[in-house]
Amino acid sequence: MNRGLVVRALRESWPATLVLGLVLAFVEAALAFILPRFGSQLPAQWLQMGMIRGVLQAMLGTRIADQLGPEMFHSIAWVDPLPLALTWAHAMISCTRVPAGEVDRGTVDVILGLPVSRWELFLSETLVWLGCAVVLLFAALAGNLLGSLGLPAQDRPHVGKVLIVLLNVFCLYCTIGGLSWLVSSLSERRGRALTIVFLIILALFLLNYLAQFWQPLERLVFLSPLHYHRPVEILVGGVWPWHDLLVLLSAAIFMWLAAGVIFSRRDLATT
Amino acid sequence: MSLIQFDQLTRSYGRRRGIEQLSLSVEEGALFGFLGPNGAGKTTVIRVMLGFLRPSSGSARLFGRDSWRDTKAIKQEVGYLPGDLRLPPWFTGNSALSIFGQVRGKDLFRPGRELAEKFALDLTVRVRAMSRGMRQKLGLILALAHSPRLLVLDEPTSSLDPLIQQVLLAHLRDVSAAGHTVFFSSHSLSEVEQLCSRVAIVREGKLVADETLAALRARAGHEVTILWSDASQTANLEPPAFLRLARRDPGVWQGVLEGPVNRLLEFLAGKPVQDLYIGRPDLESLFRRFYQTTPEARV
Repeated sequence: MNRGLVVRALRESWPATLVLGLVLAFVEAALAFILPRFGSQLPAQWLQMGMIRGVLQAMLGTRIADQLGPEMFHSIAWVDPLPLALTWAHAMISCTRVPAGEVDRGTVDVILGLPVSRWELFLSETLVWLGCAVVLLFAALAGNLLGSLGLPAQDRPHVGKVLIVLLNVFCLYCTIGGLSWLVSSLSERRGRALTIVFLIILALFLLNYLAQFWQPLERLVFLSPLHYHRPVEILVGGVWPWHDLLVLLSAAIFMWLAAGVIFSRRDLATT
Repeated sequence: MSLIQFDQLTRSYGRRRGIEQLSLSVEEGALFGFLGPNGAGKTTVIRVMLGFLRPSSGSARLFGRDSWRDTKAIKQEVGYLPGDLRLPPWFTGNSALSIFGQVRGKDLFRPGRELAEKFALDLTVRVRAMSRGMRQKLGLILALAHSPRLLVLDEPTSSLDPLIQQVLLAHLRDVSAAGHTVFFSSHSLSEVEQLCSRVAIVREGKLVADETLAALRARAGHEVTILWSDASQTANLEPPAFLRLARRDPGVWQGVLEGPVNRLLEFLAGKPVQDLYIGRPDLESLFRRFYQTTPEARV
C-alpha cells in the first residue's frame, strides 16, 4: 500500500461513490417505503397467479409459498434490478480503473514511472475500492432504514436482519468487483472491459431469472452470483446465509487474486 | 560503473517489430542521446528499461539491477518523462507535487516551485486547462523535482517553445555536471547535438551507431563543390572513392567528401580547378543516412 496512490485513487473515486451513493439511498428509501404498502394492497389471488409468482420467485431466488408478509416485500428492495444495477455499476467503474482505465487514458506510463510495485498499486486501488463500497452500501442501508420509518412499527424490518442482508449484498458486490478486476487485468480498453463485464453479468442475471421458468437451466443456476443472494430467507427466516456468503467471497477473492497476478506479470504501457 | 546496461536486448510484439539484440551501456554522469526516427524502437527500449515491458530475450540492467524484477527499487532513483505524456485532468501542479511527493516519500514542493519558476509554469492551473506545452513543463518538473540519479526523457522538448527548450537544455547540463545521468531520447539531431556527448542511433529496432559526437563528426562528410576551369580535361576524370558525387556536370562536381580534407587536396593537385568550396562537417546528412531504410542509402 502506498499513501500517495491511495490519495490519488480516492480523489478519483469519490465523485462516482457520492453520486451513486445518493441515488442508491434515494432508491432504497423509496422501495422500502413503497413496496410493503404496495404488497399489503395487492389482492392475494394475484400472488397465486403463476406468472406473478414466478417473477417474484425469480427476483427473490426462493420459493415464496409461506412468506407473503411485509418482510417479503421489503426484501424486494434488496433484489430490485435498480439498486443492484447501481451497486454493480459502482463495482464495475471502480474495479476497471487499473489497469484498463489507466492504459486507456494514457496515464499508466506516469504511474508506473513511480517507485511502486504493481502489487502496491493494486492493493492501494483495492483499499480505496472497498472503502468506497462500504460508504456506498451504508448509504443504501441509511436509505432503506429511512424509508422504513414511514411504515407502521410492526411492518418495519429488523435492523439486525437488514445488516445481514447488507453483508450478503456486500459479498455479491465483491464478486462483481472481482470479475471486473479480472477482466480489467486482461484489457487495455476500459470501455471494452466494462462491456464484457456487463454482458457476463447480464447473462448470469438472466440465467438466474429464467431458471425459475425453464427447468433445464436449473442445473446451471449455481453459476449465477444472484443464486447466492436470497434476502427473503434472511428477513423472513432470520437465517445466516453462511454458505452463500462463503461462495460469493471465495469467488471474489479468487478472481481478485487472479487479477493481481495477471496485472503484476503482464506488459503494460500506453498503446 | 555502467548505470545502464543492455545485453542482447530483444523485445518483439508478435509480428510487429520491437527491438532486436540491442547491446548498450551508459556510464554514470553521461549526457546520452538516444536517436532514431519515429517508430524505430526508442520508446520500446525505454519501456523495457523501466520495467513496463518484459524483454523477450536478453537483459536490461539499471544501477546493476534487473529492470523487470527490481523495478520498484530502480525507480526510486529515476525521473521519467514519457513521450506521450498524459496526466489526470484534475491534477494541478501543486496536487501532482503533493501526490508524487507522498509516493516518493519526499517533500517535492520546494524543488518543484523552483523548477516551476525556471520553466515559467503556474502550479495552480488544472491539467484540463493546460496547453500541451504547459503539460510538458509539468511532466518535466515531476521528473526532475526529486533530483534523480538517472533522468529518462522521451522527446522532452516536443511542444516546448524555443526559449524553454534552451532553459531545459541548460538545466540538463547542470544536472549532468552534478554527476547525474541523462538519457535523452529524441528524433531531432540538433537538440542532441547541443546537449549530448555521446549518442546511440536506433533504426528498425537495431542499434546502428553508438559513438561520441566527436567521433561522429569525424565520420561525417563535408559538402564539397568543385568548379573546373577546363571541362574538356575533366570529362573523363573518375572521382575518387572518398568523394560521393550527387551532381557531376562537365564544369561542376558536387557531393560529399568522406574522410580528411587533405586527401581531396592531394587528388585535386595539378588538375584544372577554378574554385573549391568545402563545407563544415555535415552531421545532418550523416544522420539522414543512418535514418534511411533503403539498403543503398545506409551507412
